[in-house]
Amino acid sequence: MFEYKDFLIETDKFSLNIGPSHPATHGVLRVLVQLDGETVVNAEPIIGYLHTSMEKYAEFKTYHQAETITDRMDYVAGASNNLGYILAVEKLCGVKAPKRAEYIRVILAEFTRISSHLVWLATHAVDLGALTEFLYCFRERELILDIIETVTGARMTPSFYRVGGLAMDAHKDFFDKTRSFIKIFPDKISEYEALLTKNKIWLERTKNLGIISAEDAIGFALTGPSLRGSGVKYDVRRANPYSSYEDFDFEIPTGETGDVYDRYLVRMEEMRQSLKIISQAVENVPEGEYLSYDEYPHYVIPPKKRALTTMEGMISLFKYGMEGIKPPKGEAYVSIENPRGELGFYLVSDGSAFPYRMRVRPPSFCNISALNKMVKGHMVADLIAIMGSVDILLGEVDR
Amino acid sequence: MDLMFALTVIKEAKPKSIVSTDTVNGDAHIQIKKEDLIEFASFLKSDTRLEFDMLSDLFAVDYPKKAERVEVIYNLYSMKNNFRIFVKVSSKVEETEYPSLTPLYDSADWFEREVYDMFGLKFKNHPDLKRILNPDDWDGHPLLKDYPLRKRPEPEEIKMDAPGYIE
Repeated sequence: MFEYKDFLIETDKFSLNIGPSHPATHGVLRVLVQLDGETVVNAEPIIGYLHTSMEKYAEFKTYHQAETITDRMDYVAGASNNLGYILAVEKLCGVKAPKRAEYIRVILAEFTRISSHLVWLATHAVDLGALTEFLYCFRERELILDIIETVTGARMTPSFYRVGGLAMDAHKDFFDKTRSFIKIFPDKISEYEALLTKNKIWLERTKNLGIISAEDAIGFALTGPSLRGSGVKYDVRRANPYSSYEDFDFEIPTGETGDVYDRYLVRMEEMRQSLKIISQAVENVPEGEYLSYDEYPHYVIPPKKRALTTMEGMISLFKYGMEGIKPPKGEAYVSIENPRGELGFYLVSDGSAFPYRMRVRPPSFCNISALNKMVKGHMVADLIAIMGSVDILLGEVDR
Repeated sequence: MDLMFALTVIKEAKPKSIVSTDTVNGDAHIQIKKEDLIEFASFLKSDTRLEFDMLSDLFAVDYPKKAERVEVIYNLYSMKNNFRIFVKVSSKVEETEYPSLTPLYDSADWFEREVYDMFGLKFKNHPDLKRILNPDDWDGHPLLKDYPLRKRPEPEEIKMDAPGYIE
């Protein structure tokens, strides 16, 4: 009499190489997977295919030139990365931007958070087979990029901030466009959720997958939605408010189990909260200067109008352009809440016009390092779902 | 409990390991001896008043003029108390016995690989110490100050018998 196990074929473990050029890895990530049948035994992420040594490169640029490197690091949320860098330089110099500049910075940073989450949702849904979602998300992302273009002149890599303020004042059109976006966007989020949140297929593909406990998440230094999905209420905007975030009223959504579905819900709610922050900021933008040139003339460029009409402004702008700013000797660390997690900049200054060392604390780097922990024991197809849910960006992982 | 109180707690508990303490721009920096690193870090993690449970970042800065030229900086964050400190350790580049924090913090694994890749410090007892961002056969450690910006590897000899080669 035969038993069921007699019909099974003896199999060995074997290795499968996913990437570095694979549509589901969203960039050039390579994952070396060890499989037992279709079950993942071990998954080792191998990074570095996009490494351009931006930290070294920044040591050869002046403080303002180095700003342009930071938004190319995270090209989906450029304005957010610029903010972290410029706040670190401001801390080094002891400069504070005026309230108006801080509010406009917040609006731009929150817009990039929404657009980054839209890109994440679009590509994550495509990975799991929902193509409609992709088209919906990119439709609204275009609106956001248009608004960012209105004020900064660039869609994805703005480099719009200056030490002590902004490159120029925001135009009236920017606020009008923002207001009309705030009117339409809540319905659009409901539209995305109508397609996925209670969809049977989506639930089957995401529930109880890639669970990471709160202790493990903290141990691996996960931050952002990946950490909050595990139920830890940690958000840099609330824990250490920067750039006037203490003025705004918003919630920090958290998950319960820490699976793919929870991370999805956290990001969806974060988009609503970002919109709430934008609507508060847009209505309360104070009038006044957009550069604190009067308070800190040694570190801050003069506003364009004064540079072109006054002698002293012209000389100051010329000196600033020729020599760059020279922060005092010292070290400064600033961390901000990037769409992907806590983005930190550690700057070391030796008193010259070039940063002695720029260290970036990359959120995606830490988040992807926990991949092995999350995927063990799941199927290969689930690996794609889990990899998508941590929302990595290879430009920032490899720097 | 605020950061200044935490500093006094640390100073009282581990006076022998600490070389100097400093507050720069509102951040607390503690310079400690290399051989006491593991003991010091496990104290920071396990002490119920401090609970530095997240190794948020680990990186190094190169000062070529100093005798121990690489300064390794540990960015430790306490989730419960919401403060962070920077622990600094000086080391030589040729160091092969540098203590690894992988048993204490999972995130130290990749960070230490990056420091090894960029500065050449060899961490003792690291489970899998290899290059992380540069290719495995890369020559030199790019973030050292004496490594030039535009250094490129030697062009490989073109193999005449390689498939697809057309003269």
